[in-house]
Amino acid sequence: MASGINRRDFIKLGTFAGITVMFGRLPALQAREVHSGAQTSEWMAPDGSVKYRWDAIRKVTGEKVFARDFRSKNLPGWPEKQAHGFFLKATDVEHAFDDIDLSMLGPDLQPDRVLKHADLEKDGVRVPELADLGVGFYGQDFLLPAGNTAPLYGHPVALLIFHDFDRFEAAKRRLRFETTAVKYGRKTGLIQPPNYGAARYVRIAGETPSAPPAFAPIQDAVIWGDFDGDTPTWPKADPDGIFVPRSVLLPHRGGGGVRDPLKVAQQTDEPMRRGMAAAGIIEAEIEAARNNPAKLVVQRQGFSQSIDPSAMEPDNGNAWYDASTRTLHVLIAAQSPYEVARVAAFMVKDNKRFPVEKIELVSGTTVGYGSKDHSIFPFYTIAACFYGDGLPVRLANDRYEQFQLGMKRHSIEMDLTLVADRKTGKFEVLKAFYNCNGGGRANFSFSVAQVAATAAQSIYYFPKSDLATAAIATAAVEAGSMRGYGTLQAMSITELLIDEVAAQLGMDAIELRKRNALQAGDPNTQGAVQLGDPRNLEMLDLASSHPLWLNREQAKVKYEAANPGRRYGVGFAQVQKDYGTGADTTALLLEFDAAGKITMRHCVQEIGTGATTAQQVMVQRLLGKAPDIAIFGETNFAQLPLKSNFEPFSITQEQQDELARDPFWVPAILPAMSASNSVYFIGFGTRQAAQFLLENTVWPAAQAIWSSGPAGGQLASGYMTAKDLRAVPGGIGGGGMAPIAFEAIARKAHEMGLVTGVALHCFSRWQWARADFEIPGLGIKNLPADAIAVRYGDAAPESLKARMSTGGYDFIKRSNVQFPSAQRNNAGVTTYTPAACLVELNVNTFTGHVEIMNHHSLLDPGNIIVPALVSGQQQGGIAMGIGHALMEELPLYGDGPGNGTWNFNRYRLPRAKDVAVWTQTATYLDPLTETSPPKGLAEVVMIPVVAATGNAITHAIGTRFYHLPVTANKIKKALML
Amino acid sequence: MSIEKRSLTLTINGQKVGPVDAPVGMPMIDFLHDHLDLTGTRFGCGQGICHACTVMEIQPDGIPIETRTCIFDAHFFNGKTLITIEGQAKRDEHGEVSDLTPIQQAFIEHFSFQCGYCTPGFVTAATVFVESLKRQPVKRADLQSRIETALNDHICRCTGYVRYYQAVQDVALKTPGCVID
Repeated sequence: MASGINRRDFIKLGTFAGITVMFGRLPALQAREVHSGAQTSEWMAPDGSVKYRWDAIRKVTGEKVFARDFRSKNLPGWPEKQAHGFFLKATDVEHAFDDIDLSMLGPDLQPDRVLKHADLEKDGVRVPELADLGVGFYGQDFLLPAGNTAPLYGHPVALLIFHDFDRFEAAKRRLRFETTAVKYGRKTGLIQPPNYGAARYVRIAGETPSAPPAFAPIQDAVIWGDFDGDTPTWPKADPDGIFVPRSVLLPHRGGGGVRDPLKVAQQTDEPMRRGMAAAGIIEAEIEAARNNPAKLVVQRQGFSQSIDPSAMEPDNGNAWYDASTRTLHVLIAAQSPYEVARVAAFMVKDNKRFPVEKIELVSGTTVGYGSKDHSIFPFYTIAACFYGDGLPVRLANDRYEQFQLGMKRHSIEMDLTLVADRKTGKFEVLKAFYNCNGGGRANFSFSVAQVAATAAQSIYYFPKSDLATAAIATAAVEAGSMRGYGTLQAMSITELLIDEVAAQLGMDAIELRKRNALQAGDPNTQGAVQLGDPRNLEMLDLASSHPLWLNREQAKVKYEAANPGRRYGVGFAQVQKDYGTGADTTALLLEFDAAGKITMRHCVQEIGTGATTAQQVMVQRLLGKAPDIAIFGETNFAQLPLKSNFEPFSITQEQQDELARDPFWVPAILPAMSASNSVYFIGFGTRQAAQFLLENTVWPAAQAIWSSGPAGGQLASGYMTAKDLRAVPGGIGGGGMAPIAFEAIARKAHEMGLVTGVALHCFSRWQWARADFEIPGLGIKNLPADAIAVRYGDAAPESLKARMSTGGYDFIKRSNVQFPSAQRNNAGVTTYTPAACLVELNVNTFTGHVEIMNHHSLLDPGNIIVPALVSGQQQGGIAMGIGHALMEELPLYGDGPGNGTWNFNRYRLPRAKDVAVWTQTATYLDPLTETSPPKGLAEVVMIPVVAATGNAITHAIGTRFYHLPVTANKIKKALML
Repeated sequence: MSIEKRSLTLTINGQKVGPVDAPVGMPMIDFLHDHLDLTGTRFGCGQGICHACTVMEIQPDGIPIETRTCIFDAHFFNGKTLITIEGQAKRDEHGEVSDLTPIQQAFIEHFSFQCGYCTPGFVTAATVFVESLKRQPVKRADLQSRIETALNDHICRCTGYVRYYQAVQDVALKTPGCVID
């Protein structure tokens, strides 16, 4: 390993069934979100409706909420003074890096410290490499070694550190666009890492969608590939020796799906070859269809471009190494602070030069759309801080640097072939190849590539499918886990293709979609069946009856007559996007004191979506009162001393069964903020914690209050159970009882010595783990959690209080735990949210400019927690989707963002005038029942507008575009043909 | 190359700043952040394109205008009067927010922002716009297009702008004298 940290050495606690448990030897980790804590409750109305976001006042008054807002002097315990650093970067990827030249700075602006690769190497400060993330996930070197050629544009070669801001700022300004500061030597040509991986998903259905398939990835195997140059190679159907793939990585978001290629080859060689035989059958059927007049075969090449997510807060971090206490203090803008802490621990572990015994991590409110999830930036910050000469070191990208170093959405080249029956319009085959450009660091590229391929079907059922994908290494700036995660690229092109197929069949485009839409119980292209009713047909029916769709031809005639030089078009697209990762976790602590003050400490991290508001609403809806103190971004729950091997995706059933005997073991500990996972998966724990207190604390306390007084009180002559309890303004009521203020409930609960606090941890592998917990006074409770701890009230007997020895809580050791089976790792995604969009636009035939006049969205959000947050996500997603469809685009290589000259002057982002800000509308499907869970939606909302816009342009001018974005120049060229 | 410094004096949020030596060439936003610890004004692009960094400059006649701080040297503001986001809401003697401005109040009630990074710039632009309407009212039919013109330079990446614009429309309609039929 590049880091020199041998995983087996690192883990000292022991080895269980071949899996080493490591958490115990990590430096103590602590992370929490800056500026969460005591708050007023004015943001929530007495009836539980949200008047404004919990964090609204801090944000609207410009308080320090982002990591970027803090300097060392603002952080308790940190030094008053701090240092600042910035990188010099390589913009030549064909010549070896030689050295740097800072002579242009003169003597006064020379850095206090110049850091190069050799300095870091000498001190053992190396890029962390974790086995569960795969080889080269964060690249090879922090700083490019002299004599090496940069593997990607914009690779840092040196870090300049200044002990005061004024010199730092002046030097940085002087070196911006300076091309002579980095010197190159011999020409080497491109030197890139090996390609990241190739995979292929083949399925041939049985007689019916629900019959056992002849071949399916879940039933048989995913086919893993190797490369000949940049071309994927696959096992041959006829055996000629074992075929060992390049790499094997299950396409789970968040990592952890790495498997040994040789072992997988040995285990699945035979089914992979059968899969290739199945692919051969599909290819033969396509060829036969080309010669069959009853069949329609459409083959198209498409392209979805590289974009910069352009999160308004550029990447930044601030870190301080306190050698006297061997403590690493880190403030970081990250969507996954827990992951930062975990990887940081690997990075610094056993470093002799800079020994670290404790890491204290604080994170800010942030925003990233994926770009701050598993980014290398936090680790650059940590590496830098060892060289601050005792001062904290702050790194904060400006926008040029952000374009140069920040993660991008993958560009993907696509080749799709669809076979349909001309008479019925039913789809028969989808064959596609997705060539995913991962740039020069591996990151999640192979995972994104696979998710793209497995999303290719959009909302349709295909009896036969052959979906291949490759993640290739190039000199482009690194691409990673961006909003949409490959599905935006794949489904957009599929949805453009569907419209062309409809046109060639002479069929209404929505009618064709209805005939082929996935229905409840239909398997996807991997063979998995999604949770519940997809509701695709319902949404298609709504779209087909919308006036924009119904009247589009008359509207076109009328508009074009009234607006010479403009062409009118309406387009539609519908998609569905998964949410969750397949190893979803949540953890929180929820407690109240005798005065009724509720405290919630929660793992959820605010990334702008309003998740921290929604989690509190969930508590209010059950307990009648929102938390008085809320702390988010928590990563260290002393009440839940859990440990994990962090291999939830690759664990075997035998390993899991053995590890699960330890009541402190869980498959994974804390989530990243990604995969649209907050409202359903992370909120699941919140709802369970509040429900637990409602049933086991609020109910007995309320019973005692309602039963007090003469003749057994108001409760005596009726019948009421805990299920009748309802949150009412100011407290708890239900069953016709007089409402009780939560404060009175709390007082009584403490007097009675009831449970007054609960900390819990939940885990889902497309199914929630359950276990029995024997809780004193409550008996055995079977709960959808894998760890729980409780706190007893003030008047609880000493014997109970004596048990509160784990972070002040009584950790209840579970029994009869039922973790979801390891087999469910092969189930693929099961939680989806459908979304559709109708776009009305006009095209200026002189300039090629597209004006979005109106759009109407359709979404199935389940039971909504905070309506304004949902519509806000949806409106924002639409704008981002319009940017992808029409304007945002980055060249990949020498003239791309890696050259350090890109900024918003060249990179056009959607403004209000581009998004039909005043006219847009939306319809949200009513939940099927009041028990339908809320659905993750932050990603899906930006996807259908992309293809709907493309289809509308086609309606306007008659030309089909499969290469995104559809810029004014492309349209002008098409109009000139 | 060395750092040339010059004396700088200005008024920010009602407080006199300086005279203080400030580097020549340092953008105002850096001076605000790293010399005055006023970090609510947000850095977006450094080119004056995204308008995340705007503050209100109060002209000698009392009329506020919107000014970008990422493209102007701190010394450009010598002798001028600025209101940054920290100076918009009223605060009590403990420094706690006691009263939001109508624009700030509308933004929070409309759930106008998500990450909130661009919010200070939107507060600035919307405040300047509503103040301009008080001096020169707009016809109701033209209000939406005037809002677009006033705010279109501001980039928001989270919200799609809808709730910002609705909030500003709401304030304009509710503020006496801003909108005429």
